[in-house]
Amino acid sequence: MLEHVLIGQYVPGRSVVHRLDPRAKLASLFLFMVFLFVSRELVVLGAAAVLTAAALLSAGISLRFFWKGTRLVLIIVALTFFLHLFLTQEGRVLLEIGPLAVYSGGLLEGFVVGFRLLLLIVLATLLTLTTTPVDLTDGIESLLRPLSYVRVPTHEFALMMSIALRFIPTLLTETQTIMKAQMARGAAFSRGSVWNRLKAFLPVLIPLFSQSFKRAEDLATAMEARGYNGGAGRTKYRELSWKLSDTLIFCMFLAFAGLSLWTRIG
Amino acid sequence: MKHNRLVVMMEIAMMTGLAVILDFVRVAQMPFGGSITLAAVPLILLAFRRGAGAGITAGVIFGIINWMIGGYVVHWAQMLLDYPVAFGVLGTAGFFAFKRSWTLKRKLTAVIAGTIVANLLRLASHFTAGVVWFRELAPDGMSPELYSFLYNIAYIGPIIVITILIMVLIVRTGERLFHPETS
Repeated sequence: MLEHVLIGQYVPGRSVVHRLDPRAKLASLFLFMVFLFVSRELVVLGAAAVLTAAALLSAGISLRFFWKGTRLVLIIVALTFFLHLFLTQEGRVLLEIGPLAVYSGGLLEGFVVGFRLLLLIVLATLLTLTTTPVDLTDGIESLLRPLSYVRVPTHEFALMMSIALRFIPTLLTETQTIMKAQMARGAAFSRGSVWNRLKAFLPVLIPLFSQSFKRAEDLATAMEARGYNGGAGRTKYRELSWKLSDTLIFCMFLAFAGLSLWTRIG
Repeated sequence: MKHNRLVVMMEIAMMTGLAVILDFVRVAQMPFGGSITLAAVPLILLAFRRGAGAGITAGVIFGIINWMIGGYVVHWAQMLLDYPVAFGVLGTAGFFAFKRSWTLKRKLTAVIAGTIVANLLRLASHFTAGVVWFRELAPDGMSPELYSFLYNIAYIGPIIVITILIMVLIVRTGERLFHPETS
């Protein structure tokens, strides 16, 4: 039942996009996400398309991976396009099929809304395809650091996230071991009514939770024994490094944000 | 750093990890995406065990990891509401924590009420996310509220029922899990 578990969508690679600093990628995506919706001008849409296409091409990830993760959302994009196509009644009639009429305004509206959505989905998916969850966590911690001045425990937050990610494979093995042990005793997890399946899960869940709480206690003790003392003055094994390419990419997205804002106001 | 605080932090990490794993165990599959899983169980259990703060933290972390390993983004507000906020509010179940000395009936009432409230808040979060981005997308004349509500209740409804059943079963056979001093 758990064999199809594929932790993360990350596709290993050495492309420019893979090697960018996660902070640069997160910040750029954030700018893109906000400013894509600020303006409806064709030039902004064109710039967004160029940025997305450039990122996609330089990441060297086959479209197969995109299709796998975004199938459902792409159906929504298509649905959005057709809804606008048939329901917007502005401009002149381009095509009439029985009771349905396609107006030029509808075609434009459907294209703008659907295309924008598509670009955002592609770029956001690209981030998770080219960045490991651990790198993303480091990036998020670093970007949230200003909050630590108002006493938000950002370091602890990132630590818990890293440990959760690190322990997913371990907990998965444990889950499988317990499930096999219960199957050997005759438990059936994928047969019978929902109620019976739920009841079959209970002898898995209770030992699983029990062991995990014990593991948490052991981990805390082990960390204290090694002198863990909270975030202050703690050094890192893996440091993020901001490179020239990161600045360049971020500036490109900053320029996009500026363009979008300028066409809106101007 | 206090030992107890560190233990709670590690419990948050472990329960988040378990939620990620349980999210892959499909109890039932819904026709329009949205599968019924037990991912909420460790988060709600932790909220009852360690209070709403720990529960909310675990939920937010789970939401972010969930987005990282296969979420989708169509709008910045949708991203926040569908991931960190939607799962973070599950931690509010912790406000319904019960004591060991209570009668079984009172305990069950607390667990059921907490689970329902937490999941309704999650529903509200997904609902708002749906309205936000559907309003951006849908042509005039379609009600984003109705659409979003129907879409979300279709899978959160069954999740509420299943989570309640599991939580009740855990109270009856593994109550020690709810109280840190005994497990």
